[in-house]
Amino acid sequence: MSTPVNAEQAWNDLQRIRVPQERVYDEVERRASGAPGVAYAAAALMWVFLAGLGLGPPRWVVLLALAAYVALLSVLTVRYASRSPMQLHHSRYNRRMSVTLVAGVVMTGATAWLSGRLAESLEPVLAGLVQATVSAAVFLLFIGPASRWAAQSLRGHGEQVAR
Amino acid sequence: MSTPTGFDELIHPATRLSVVALLATTEWADFAFIRDSLSLSDSALSKQLHTLEEAGYLEIHKEGGGRKRRTKVRLTDRGRTAFEGHVAALRAIVEGAGSTAVLTGVAERRQDHAEAGP
Repeated sequence: MSTPVNAEQAWNDLQRIRVPQERVYDEVERRASGAPGVAYAAAALMWVFLAGLGLGPPRWVVLLALAAYVALLSVLTVRYASRSPMQLHHSRYNRRMSVTLVAGVVMTGATAWLSGRLAESLEPVLAGLVQATVSAAVFLLFIGPASRWAAQSLRGHGEQVAR
Repeated sequence: MSTPTGFDELIHPATRLSVVALLATTEWADFAFIRDSLSLSDSALSKQLHTLEEAGYLEIHKEGGGRKRRTKVRLTDRGRTAFEGHVAALRAIVEGAGSTAVLTGVAERRQDHAEAGP
């Protein structure tokens, strides 16, 4: 059986493969930089949760609020993901995505803890408002650039996987 | 010269190769996203998808109803293996000919086209 394509056609086919794959990474980067609504919604949920804690509710209310916060955050994530026109294959994700996620959680948690400590001398309700506002602001400042930074690295990683 | 192992005649046509290449990068993709990314018509894409579906290379799921109806397309394990084998076969062909020689040929042909120009 003879080779169905010559080397030049094979080379052109290999180049052709890259074009639709670039479209996928374009979409991933577009979504990483163009979804401020979700970030604002997540920040608003965080603000309400942390400000609510500042009221000094009993332990069972704190646990209930935490469960509600996690549930609403999950709903937000699922709704955002369901609106996506595609989902990147798991083999195309890289370590930078995990690092960004962990860094986001650590930074937000550390900010909430630190701002809570710094505002301890204030009245509890006011301290809660300060803690909530500072934490939500840091989250909003972090999430945009971090998402773009992580998403931009996927294109290069995808090319390595494809090789 | 023999056909390299993994060369897949079903994936080889340009449109199907582009569809499978796009799907290989994703877990799933919307019909509309594939259509717009590859600048295809609905009917042209449907035809290619059904050919690939019949071969067991991809799965098509329809979700929702009315205006919210979505068609999700996913490459199966078989399709993914076939695509990877096909890419490996294309690389083997290029490497067999010597990639420098191929690149020189492509560059010369492009230069000829440019000189012929409109």
